[in-house]
Order: sequence, then structure tokens, then C-alpha cells
Amino acid sequence: MKQQAGAAALSPANGMTRGNRWKPAALKTALMLAPFVVFGLFLLFHNVNPVTLYISMIQSTFGDLYGFGEVLLKATPFILTGLAAALPAKAGLVNVGGEGQLAIGALFSTWFAVFYLDAMPAALGIPLMLLAGALGGGLWAAVTALLKVKGGLNETITSLLLNYVAAFTVGFFVHGLLKDPNSFNWPFSPEIASSLRLPVVNGTRLHVGILLALVLAAVTWYVLARTRLGFRIRVIGSNRFAAERAGFRINRTYFWVLVAGGMLAGIAGMIEIAGIEGRLRASTGVNYGYLGFLAAMMAWNHPLRIVLTGFILGMISVAGNTLEIASGLPASSVHILMGLVLFFILGSGRRSS
Amino acid sequence: MMIADILTGAIRSGTSVMLASQGELISERAGVINLGTEGSMLCGALGGFAVTVWTGNPWLGVLAGGIAGMLISAIHAFLVLACGANQLATGLTIMFFGMGVTSFLGRGFVSEQIVGFNPVPIPFLSDIPFIGGILFNHDPLTYLAILFVPCLWYVLFRTRLGIVLRATGERQEVLFASGINPKLVRYLAVLAGGFLAGVGGVQLSVAFTHSWVENMTQGRGVVAVALVIFASWMPARAMLGAYLFGAAQALQLTVQQQGLPISPFFLFMVPYLLTLAALLIVERKQRSLMPESLGKVFAGDGAR
Repeated sequence: MKQQAGAAALSPANGMTRGNRWKPAALKTALMLAPFVVFGLFLLFHNVNPVTLYISMIQSTFGDLYGFGEVLLKATPFILTGLAAALPAKAGLVNVGGEGQLAIGALFSTWFAVFYLDAMPAALGIPLMLLAGALGGGLWAAVTALLKVKGGLNETITSLLLNYVAAFTVGFFVHGLLKDPNSFNWPFSPEIASSLRLPVVNGTRLHVGILLALVLAAVTWYVLARTRLGFRIRVIGSNRFAAERAGFRINRTYFWVLVAGGMLAGIAGMIEIAGIEGRLRASTGVNYGYLGFLAAMMAWNHPLRIVLTGFILGMISVAGNTLEIASGLPASSVHILMGLVLFFILGSGRRSS
Repeated sequence: MMIADILTGAIRSGTSVMLASQGELISERAGVINLGTEGSMLCGALGGFAVTVWTGNPWLGVLAGGIAGMLISAIHAFLVLACGANQLATGLTIMFFGMGVTSFLGRGFVSEQIVGFNPVPIPFLSDIPFIGGILFNHDPLTYLAILFVPCLWYVLFRTRLGIVLRATGERQEVLFASGINPKLVRYLAVLAGGFLAGVGGVQLSVAFTHSWVENMTQGRGVVAVALVIFASWMPARAMLGAYLFGAAQALQLTVQQQGLPISPFFLFMVPYLLTLAALLIVERKQRSLMPESLGKVFAGDGAR
């Protein structure tokens, strides 16, 4: 009896009756499937059978441990750069600089690994390398943050422009000061010591980086949702004037959320070096920052949901390799699929928080 | 001699950014930020190049490139205006989508060669010492682009159309009162912006480099968006900013040709750092001049 009354009281608040409750769910499903249908038409147009291709994509990502490991590998930087966008977003800032912050984080961690941490045991060297990555990403984000707080510049434009500067900075180092002397003039850094490589799961390339990403996602969520600091960040993001009235130090918060975001992206850069590549190249982590930003958008900046959206983007990325092998289409065509997925998510109408 | 080279190069390599920034300016005057300008430029660069390869006629290339840029900006307009999507995220997705589409469709064009647009010196004017070579020895598309700037200024500030466009970005209530749908104005403004960014892309591939390279815009679309803020939403200042960017690009080429011992990577950075510095200098002025509703998508009662 009581329960019924409760349900009756709830349903008008939800604004929907049992009859049309399924409608939004059906619509959502249709919106999730639509990009794959559109991309399927695109594939048909290029004489590729979309059904067999989609099946082989799923097989390559879930079929065996190796494939699944690859998905988690790809998801790791997306989750971290997603957090780098989501944390400032909660304070009302748009950080599109994950790309550059990741690159500088990778640069710093490689620099330290090559010149200072070479002979160190893993237990000391890896954490120090991680700190170096966070320092690099944080410093790079601090430029955007300072220009925002002291110069009043829009952080979106600044962080985007600095991405290009970061890419050229990495280019400068791998062509010069950080070039491997034994590389026959190829532009990449020397390999870092094997003791600094992240431990790997047998039979895959999967390393412990994914665990770190999950922990950092949980910490970010906890800070934002459960602490006084997180509350302040959210108030500043949702109502600047209320925050001003309450005497919150807005500029200081702006500065530190951007720097913290940069550190997260910098850690992603370190993980790429210590976990996968082993050396810095100009191509290290290219586009990961943008994909992370989009993962954050897809998750409406919710730190835990970013784990899921980062995973989805990782799946699509790995499937891109299958696309190339199974159909002869270039791997870049997967960007088209990714764009379509995002268009449909963006178009599904919910405003970002 | 070197200064003349740099200034000539500034116009050569800055015109693509200039056109894109004029387009972005139209869009922002109507209250829509379009970071997808980068994507529009890429689509324009490839579309224009492809059609020039097929037909041999660069003017058809201009048309095709403009339409390609416009089509992709139509996605932005639809998602932002009809679905209420976040402008920055949508623009970024367009940029990404543009990279994907053009690197996929452009594979076959990487080794193609075209005649495209080439410099046509203007009689007498190009003989003026110093200035003549800098200003009057360019390709026809560049002349048109430069002539477009005063035209845009005139339309914006001296015609009814311009008043409607500016009012859309400032106070759409006024437009409602006069029976004009601000949403329609915004659609048209974003499409026009995409068209111009597309033509900017064509200038890059068909008139400047005469080639197609994957992701060849290298952030020029992002710079164009930044320059509009630097320009306080004024066409002539956006042109100035774009040619400043172009000069920094040209400086890099000149220094490399002279064989000066400066790392090319530092020179690559200069245009972007210059854009940042320019933004920093004008920051105080720009705020009061910003179109009021910029960044907020209009979703008033009468709109649906």
C-alpha cells in the first residue's frame, strides 16, 4: 500500500507513465546504433561488407586476451586525458589542452628517465618518472591557467593553441637534445632503461597503467562528489556569482583545477612512454588529448562514466586496426566512425553539465 | 629584399587564415563559435584540390571547396542550433571528423600535381618599387580575398543585413520584435562562415602550396578563431592578424632558405606564440566588444 502510494507520487515527478517510458530508451538505442548504420553505408559504398567487418571488429577486441588487452591499453590515456578535461569542466572551464599536456608530460618523463633515472631500481625510478610526467603536464597547463587568471584569456583558445606549440617542442627535442645517438638519424629519443618499464600482464602488452587510470578516476570522482573542495569546485562551475558571494577564491580554484588536469594528462604521457613506446617520438600520443576531451564530453564530465566512454573509444580505436587489415581501408577511416558516434551523442539533446 | 620577401610571403601564406577568420567573424557576430573552422578548411582544401585535378579549372575548385566547407559546417549549425549541443565540443568533433574524412578521401591525391592559381601581376601597380611586388603580384583568389574584407565591413556596418546579423549576436529579442527568426540568421551565418573557411582551404592547397597533404591546415582554423577574438570582431583587424600570422610563417621559410642556425621547430612555434601574444595585448578591449550572446545558444520560446 505504502509502496504504491510512493510509486504514484514518484511517477508524475518523473514526468512519464509506464507507456512511454520505453520510448526514450528505444530512441537512445536507435541513436547509439545510427552511427554504425551510417558508417555501414559508407563501407558498402567502398565495397566492404559492414556486417562481416563489424563481427571481425568485435572478435578482435573481445575475442582473446590480447585483443582485450589492446583495448584497455588504448583506453588508459583516453581515461586520463578525459579526466584532464572533466575536472576543469566541473569548475566551468574548457580544457582542450590535454593533447599538449600529454606531450609535455611524455617529454619530461622521458628526459628524466634517460638522464637521471637510468640506473635506478624500478621501485624508485618508476614513481619518480611518474612525478616528472605529472610535473610536465602540470607546468604546461599552468601556462594556460596563468593566462586565464592573470591575463583574462579564454582557456579554450589558449589551450588549443598551446597544443601546437607543445607538438613542436617535442619535435625540437627528439630532433635535437633528446635524439638517440645510435638512431641513424631517426628522430626519436634513446630507449628508457628496462627497469623503468611498467610491469606487463603475460601474453599481452597490457601494463599496470590501466589500474592507475582507474584509481585516478575514482579519486577524481571522490574529490568532486564527496569533499568540501569538490563542492566548491562545483559551485564555481554552476554559479559563479554565488561562489563569489560565498567568498570562494575563484581564480585560485581555476588555476589549480587546470594544473591538476594537466598533471593527469601528463601522467597519461608518462604511461605511454613507460608502458608502451619505451622512447619518445614526435608521434607519441598524437590525438589522445582530443579523444580524451571527447570521452569527457560523452560522459558529461562524470569521472566514473569517463572510464566507460574511454573504454568505448579504445574499442573503436583498436577496431580501426582490424578495419585496415580486414578491409584494406586506411586506419584513419575509424575517425569517421568516431566522429559519427560523437555527432549522434551530441545531437541526442542533453546539455552538458 | 628579405623584408619584401617576408611581406609577400605573409600575404601568400596568411590569406587562407584570413578568409577563414572572416568566415568565423560572420558566425561569431551572429553568436555561434565554430571551432570546426579547422575541419571546414581541411574539407575545402581537399575538395578544391580534387575538383581542380579533375576539371583543371581552379575556379570550380573554389566553388567545390567552399561547398565542402559549408556542408561540414552545416553539421555544426544543426547540432548546435537544433539540438542544443555544446558549441565547443561540437566544433572540436567537426575538426576531428574533418581530419578523418579528408585523410581517408585524400589518399589518392597526395601525389597529384596541379597548375592551380598562379600570380598575376597587376599592370603598372606591380611596377611600384617595394610595395608593388608585395601587394600586386598575387593570384586572383588572393586579390578577391583581400577585396572581400572591405565588402564585409560595408555589409556589417552599413546595411540592414549587417544590422540583423549583429543584432542576432547581441539581442535576439529585438529581432523577434521585428519579425525575423534569429535562428535562421544563425544558420545562414554559420553556413557562410563554413563556405569562407572552405575557400580559405582552397587558397592553401590550390593557390599557395599546389598540393594536398594530409592534415595540411596545421591548426590554421584554430588560429582563425583566435584571431577573431584578437580582432574584436572587426574584419580589417582580423585581416591584420592573419597577415601577422602569415608573416611569421614566411619568416620561417626565409630563415630556412638563408640557412641561419635557428631550429626550425622554434620558428614553427612563432606564429602560434604570436597569436597568443596578440590575444594577451588586446584582452581588455575585446571584452566590451564581444557579441553579447556569443557562446550561448539561442533557445527562446518562439524558436521551436
